[in-house]
Amino acid sequence: MILNTMLMAASPMLAPTPAAPDLLAIKVGTAETVSDGAIPHAVILVEDGKIVVVGEDLPIERGVPVVDLGPDSIAMPGLVNAYSRQGMDSRGSNDSNPGLRASAELYPAYREYGELLEAGVTTLGLYPAGNGIPGRAVAVRPRGDDRGEMIVADDVYLKILLDANSRSKKMIRDGFEKADDYIEKEQKAREKWEKAKEKEEKDKKKKKDDDEDKDDEDEKKKEEVGPYVPPEPDDDARTFQELRDGELRALISINSSGEYLHLIDAIEDEEFDWDLRIPVNRSLNVFYVKRELGELGCRVVMEPELSMHPNTRRLRNLPMELSEAGARLVLIPRSDSVTSHRQWREETGELIGAGLERDTALRAMTLEPAELLGLGERLGSLSAGKDANILFFESDPFEPGSEILAVMLEGEIVSGDLN
Amino acid sequence: MKILEHRTLPFALGALSVFALSLPVQAALPVWDDDDEEEEEKEPIPEEEKDRFFLIENAEIHTGTGEVLRGASLLGKNGKIVEIGYDIEIPGRDYFTDVPEDEQRFRVQVLDAQGMRVYPGLVAISSSGIAGTSGDFRDSVDPFSQTMVLGLATGITTTGSGRSAVKLKRYVSHDPPLPYDFDGIVLSEETYSTLSYSSASSKRSLREKLERAREYMLEYRQWQVDVKDDKELDEPDKKGVDSNVLAVLRGESVARFRADDRGDLLAIARIAQEFGFRPIIDGCREGWTVADELGRAGAMAIITARERRDKNESLVRDGGSSIENAAILSRAGVPVAIVPGTKGVDLGGIVGRDIMHLPIEVGFAIRGGLSEELALASITTVPARMMGVSHRVGTLEVGKDCDLIVTDGDLLHYQTFVQYTVVDGDLVYDKEEELFFAHIRPRPEAPVAPETKLDAGENPTEEEASSEEEGGDEED
Amino acid sequence: MVSSTLLRGSICGATILLGGVAAAQDLVVQCAKVLTVNAADEVFAPGAIEFTDGRISYVGPPREVASGIPVHAEPTAWAAPGLVDLHTHIHTGGWGDINDMVRSVNPGLRACATVRPDNRRIQLACAAGVTTLFGIPGSGTNMGGFGVLYKAKATSSFEEAVIEAVGGLKVAQDSNPQRRAGNFAFGNNRASMGWILEDVCRKAFGALRQGRFDFALADLQRVLTRELPILIHTAGGEGVVNTARMWHRELSTRCVISHGSFDGWKAAPVIAEWGVPVNHGPRTMDFYSSRNGRLNGTGAAYQEAGVPNFSLNTDSGVVDQEQFFLQGSMSARLGADAYQMLRAMTIHPATAFGLDDRVGSLEMGKDADVVLHSGDPLDPRSHVLRVWIEGESEYEYQPGNQRF
Repeated sequence: MILNTMLMAASPMLAPTPAAPDLLAIKVGTAETVSDGAIPHAVILVEDGKIVVVGEDLPIERGVPVVDLGPDSIAMPGLVNAYSRQGMDSRGSNDSNPGLRASAELYPAYREYGELLEAGVTTLGLYPAGNGIPGRAVAVRPRGDDRGEMIVADDVYLKILLDANSRSKKMIRDGFEKADDYIEKEQKAREKWEKAKEKEEKDKKKKKDDDEDKDDEDEKKKEEVGPYVPPEPDDDARTFQELRDGELRALISINSSGEYLHLIDAIEDEEFDWDLRIPVNRSLNVFYVKRELGELGCRVVMEPELSMHPNTRRLRNLPMELSEAGARLVLIPRSDSVTSHRQWREETGELIGAGLERDTALRAMTLEPAELLGLGERLGSLSAGKDANILFFESDPFEPGSEILAVMLEGEIVSGDLN
Repeated sequence: MKILEHRTLPFALGALSVFALSLPVQAALPVWDDDDEEEEEKEPIPEEEKDRFFLIENAEIHTGTGEVLRGASLLGKNGKIVEIGYDIEIPGRDYFTDVPEDEQRFRVQVLDAQGMRVYPGLVAISSSGIAGTSGDFRDSVDPFSQTMVLGLATGITTTGSGRSAVKLKRYVSHDPPLPYDFDGIVLSEETYSTLSYSSASSKRSLREKLERAREYMLEYRQWQVDVKDDKELDEPDKKGVDSNVLAVLRGESVARFRADDRGDLLAIARIAQEFGFRPIIDGCREGWTVADELGRAGAMAIITARERRDKNESLVRDGGSSIENAAILSRAGVPVAIVPGTKGVDLGGIVGRDIMHLPIEVGFAIRGGLSEELALASITTVPARMMGVSHRVGTLEVGKDCDLIVTDGDLLHYQTFVQYTVVDGDLVYDKEEELFFAHIRPRPEAPVAPETKLDAGENPTEEEASSEEEGGDEED
Repeated sequence: MVSSTLLRGSICGATILLGGVAAAQDLVVQCAKVLTVNAADEVFAPGAIEFTDGRISYVGPPREVASGIPVHAEPTAWAAPGLVDLHTHIHTGGWGDINDMVRSVNPGLRACATVRPDNRRIQLACAAGVTTLFGIPGSGTNMGGFGVLYKAKATSSFEEAVIEAVGGLKVAQDSNPQRRAGNFAFGNNRASMGWILEDVCRKAFGALRQGRFDFALADLQRVLTRELPILIHTAGGEGVVNTARMWHRELSTRCVISHGSFDGWKAAPVIAEWGVPVNHGPRTMDFYSSRNGRLNGTGAAYQEAGVPNFSLNTDSGVVDQEQFFLQGSMSARLGADAYQMLRAMTIHPATAFGLDDRVGSLEMGKDADVVLHSGDPLDPRSHVLRVWIEGESEYEYQPGNQRF
């Protein structure tokens, strides 16, 4: 609203637009782009909900509305929490439900979504509840009157919880087995159809060669072999084939180094994209497989939390250690509550103080989770062509007490203002 | 002649040129295998398939067979012992020595055990909490378990767990990483048949089962003869035959009883002699009172040396516990395996009576008269035999698993610590690298050479020189 | 040398002829090594000990013995003093009589009333070389009563075995008998336990000053006047300091801190500075409280800090009495000096409790409490060959009948 007034004041020729302004140039002291580093005296040009360009001291065309937030101001991409159940309340089971979708559970009227936006979270990855293989996650914007308006992308990852026991490992193995079974089954069906088709052709040919003594009724009774219809795969077969084909990725929860080894054992030679969710607790021992995780270069979804070396009071910064070993860090708030989302930046600031690289931390809250959700081309950084999901600050976002000046979601200011 | 050919196998550009140079030489060789040459031009061997050598040098090696070698070496290859002796060289390490077939590159770990002793990895006949799980090893083991590390720190490399015999297979993070060998954990799944012979009803029940099983065995033997004449003849009816008991009589499984009282021990000895099997008796507290009978019955005992129980005063004959139990049983020909009073790891503060002090328990058996040799056997060969895994563990012999411990003195001395533990040819415990005991009489310097990758194609002289440096004094 | 021996021999002989004012040796023990554990840490290898009238009349290199004097020669054995354990509960033969609780503090109770000197546990203790014990009440209340000092003479009567019926006071001030708040009668948390103890001491002091005889407090007064020692069960860093402050610095008693377990070792430098002896055990290792990832050898820590007369105990039967020596072995395993641990089970506890005129080392004039071992007394593989208490043979190793 305020922007529109501003625009009108600046240029009476521009027609007032109800939602996102057509074009807006924002000057900030520093633009933390994440993709291209920190750009000083940056100009961000936003149009139709997208970032047009970001650059240092870009000249602005006459007539383009400009907002200058001052030399101390900082812009960064909107926060992406790829692993949450905010707004979801079902409980889930212990079984394998690979076809189940979290999106079916979405409740757009959930009041706290607005508060999440205020806290700077512009994208959420919501996963289904339950143990075993609970189903597929959905990426949403925390805004919208119906599910359709909220969903940015569905089937962003398949959630799997791995425990060190045979039942859990079997779930993964069985899934791929079912995909194999389906391939076999489909092959058999195809062969059967081909045989039937062949026979039909033969019969037709035979009929032509023979006299017209054949009983027409008999022939009418015989149904024609129609086009090939493959059998319907069940959820397991379909899902695991999607994993194999690279159409779906998995996010697998483990709690210890031992479970990591069991995961590798359960996967065997199957090749598919997967990342790890590793909850950080006091005695987390994943540092034993730092090297292995680093070699894989997989993503690790963790809270910005320090843990202790087992049996001692010695603190360890495992998100930092894993990232330094080569794993790609994705951070989530310490707990899945609105308050924690508000404190998320400060929590991460603590870990930066404990040695985590600031750039790694920044990326871990923006572009890396975006990529985990398969949305790396679309959002997560201040780059040309991406959604204009931008947070504006007047001080370092990781400093305790730093407040967000404004939150821009797809070009529209949804919280605070740019004055 | 083959040697030169193998040495010139392609690896990098440098090697290729060497290969080219050797061509005229090869033409002159009488033995030339074309197939080999073709194969060897493939890509480098993946890490998992490279040979892994473990060499320990300058040690006082107690093989567990009664032999002690001083200033000796032991070579393990891919988890098995391949050589024990003096001045062992790894094939291919020296330019002019035989390179094993199919070996292009391999990994070597060298441990200088100067001033230290090497013993076979210890075998705990039973324990609790040190194997990484108590359930399904394949799918629930925790290869990072800290209690497993304490078990390895005690020198234990194999333990009974439930009815299985398993290794303390701690995960080793190699560079580059190697997959964890889940299949290598369990040595034997069903090592015993647990039988009961103490109460009146269990005695009757077991006797019935043994008789029925014996009857079946006789019938079966007769059938084996008869079926040659009459091919249609049905097998004898297996109804009422207990499969565990049958397995015991057939020698497929070992019977294990839990018994302490003199009367029960005698009863077991008698029934074992009657039906012809060798029982393992767990507890055997009053075994010393009936040692001769147990010896005649071929019994084997699992005992706790320090166990203390006063004799039952209402009974006339000798009874109760005796510190001489292990010694007396041994002299009567009963092999003895030793367990401590507390089977798990106890960090509560009272020191000396849990699984971490297995050698101390053995010390008490020696106090009671057990010989030092049989004492070592009680935590190596005897439990290995009881669990049917003595073809793999219990002694250091060529062909057996490369499971060993390096100690800073006599294993059975109360101040001796295990400095290193090796399981399947991998160094899985180093006292100085773990917080638990590193602060106690710390080792002056680390003689372990970092892993050296030896490439058959590179300059051998340089390689040799550097590995000798790391290995420490080999001559003198 | 020979001449002086002959001279002594003739003097002895002369005195016998004169009617036996000074007796000849009752026994001479000769062996491979004699660990005297005296102030000079003398070791005689080979060595000999001579008993006369239940006391040691000579210890040193073997010397010529007059004929007719029995000689016990064990050419490969080591001789060491009988062990002294200041914290034991085997005097009754079981756990039954250990914790009598009449009131919240029981200075009037005496453990000597419950002693059964011929019980099997004492017999077993003797066979393992433990010769002097302080049998005390448990830690059911803050002040359990007075313990009994006795020798492990299993075949004796009370009079023969007991050195001191009222040997010293037992106080428990931390961990046991700590209960949840609200159970004021039997000791709550540290503040109220401290109050209960100070209260009874004040009453005793008061009675003393007024010259008023109070039966229940009479023996407590003897503690406060430093006539009798006091053994205080306490644990943890704070517990140890609190106890030392109260009983050593404020009340100036002859106190010995007992247990001092968990992370009590961290207070060792302070305790050493204040000069309070510590009697440590049964826990000699701490992992959970110290939380540095290490198995901390707490005995070594106290001993290295320079705590005076550092000693070990079993708190039998928490640790079996016959395994007393193992407390020393295990402390040595975890970093302490093995010989110092032998001292910690002999001369140090004796000195801490004022018994060093009679026991704790193999020196002339002391009780002939001698143990012959087949080797290193701290090595579990060694066995005890012979035990003499006050010159009398109390245990003899017989294969087939080895007690421990």
